[in-house]
Amino acid sequence: MLPVSIQDFDELWHIAVMKAERDELGFDAPAPVGHPVRASLPSDAPTGPAIGNRLPDFSLPDAFGRVINFHEDRGQSKAALVFYRSAVW
Amino acid sequence: MRDAFDKFEAAGIKLYALSYDDQETLAEFAQKQGVQYTLLSDTDSRVIKQYGLLNEQLSKKDAFLFGIPYPGVFVCDEDGTVISKFFHDSYKKRESPEMLIDAALGHITIDETAPRAESSEDGIRITAALHGGNGSLRQGIVRQLVTTFDLPEGLHIYGEPVPQGLTATKIRVEGPDGLVTLPMEVPPTTPLHLEALNIDLNVWSGTVDLAIPLYPVGELVSECRPIDEREVEISVHITFQACTDETCLLPQTRTLSLRIELEEVDVPNLPIHTGHGQREGNYDSTPAMKRLIWRKVRKNPLRLLQFIWNRKRMERRSKRAG
Repeated sequence: MLPVSIQDFDELWHIAVMKAERDELGFDAPAPVGHPVRASLPSDAPTGPAIGNRLPDFSLPDAFGRVINFHEDRGQSKAALVFYRSAVW
Repeated sequence: MRDAFDKFEAAGIKLYALSYDDQETLAEFAQKQGVQYTLLSDTDSRVIKQYGLLNEQLSKKDAFLFGIPYPGVFVCDEDGTVISKFFHDSYKKRESPEMLIDAALGHITIDETAPRAESSEDGIRITAALHGGNGSLRQGIVRQLVTTFDLPEGLHIYGEPVPQGLTATKIRVEGPDGLVTLPMEVPPTTPLHLEALNIDLNVWSGTVDLAIPLYPVGELVSECRPIDEREVEISVHITFQACTDETCLLPQTRTLSLRIELEEVDVPNLPIHTGHGQREGNYDSTPAMKRLIWRKVRKNPLRLLQFIWNRKRMERRSKRAG
C-alpha cells in the first residue's frame, strides 16, 4: 500500500522516524549511524560567502509570516546569521 | 542562543537563524521556547542554495533530510560585510553564542559570573575562566577555556616560534574523559627585535587572552542519558617565561583548577529523544515533524518507502560491520 493521502501517510510516517540508532558521541537521530547526516561533514564542504564579501541579500518570511529583507531589517547593525538544520529534529 | 539573546542585544548585534522549517513550526518553537531573535523560514531551501550551502551529500532519496544546509554562522559588520564565520564539521557541534559576540566586537568579553581561578606571583596575574554559556559544559557546544595574562609594564611573554633557550607560552587543559580540546586561539604577536643579540622574537605584553576551545562528547554528557556527575574538575597547566628587553625570569608552570558544571541538553520533544532524562522541549514536536516529512514527500510518496528501505539496508550493513 502506498501513502497516497495524508491519512494513509499518518500510518506510515512514524515508521520512518520513530527509531533511532545511537552514535559514539551519544546522540540519537532519525537516520542510521553512517548516514551522511550523522557522519562528520567533509572538510572541503562549502562555507558560502568569504570573509570580506558582502552577505548576499535575500527576503524570507519570519515566524510571524512577515517577509523580512535581511539587510533592510538589519539596518545599520552588526548581525549574526545562523544556518542550522532544523528546529524540529 | 535563547539565553544569550540579551547579550546580543546589549552588544548591538542582530541575530537571525535560518532553517528549512515551515513558518508554523517556527512560530510554535518561538512561542513555546521563548525565542526572541528572528527565525527565518526557507522551506524550499532557496536561500540555502543562494549561499551555496546546500548539503549535497544528501539527495531527494533522503526524503525529509534533503534541503538542510551545511551548518554554520556568518558574522557581518554594519555594512553587511562578512567579518567572521564559523562552519562546523558536524551537525552536533556549534559555538557558544559568546564566541559570535566576541567575533563581532573583535575582543573576548568574559562574564563576571564565569567560573574562574587566579594566580598572582612575580607581579604577574594569570586568570583561567570558562567562557561561554553560563560557564557550564553542554554536549555539542564549544566553550573556551580562556587564560588571561596581566603583565606589568615592560614584561612580555613569547609566542611560537622562540629561539633556543627561551620558552614559548604553552597551555594544556587536563579534564575528564570525553572532554575534547581544540588548538589554542591566540591574538597576533608583536615582533620584537633585540639589537644586542640580533634576534627576532614574537611577544605579547599587557593583557593577553589565550583561548582553548573545548566541548564534551558522549562519555561525559549525552542527550541519551541523565547526567551522572553534576560537576567536573578541569586543570589548566600554563607554562611561560616572562622577560623584559634585558633580562628574563626563569620559565615557570602554574596550574589552575576549575570546578565546572555539566548542563543538560535541550532535546526536541520527539519520541526518539524523550525519556532519557534530559531537558525536553515545552511542547510536542511530533506534528511539526509529520508536517515536514509530508511536505517533503507528498509529491512523490515513494520517497518515504525508499527512505525506510535505505535505512534498513544501512542498519543491516552496520550490524554486519559491527
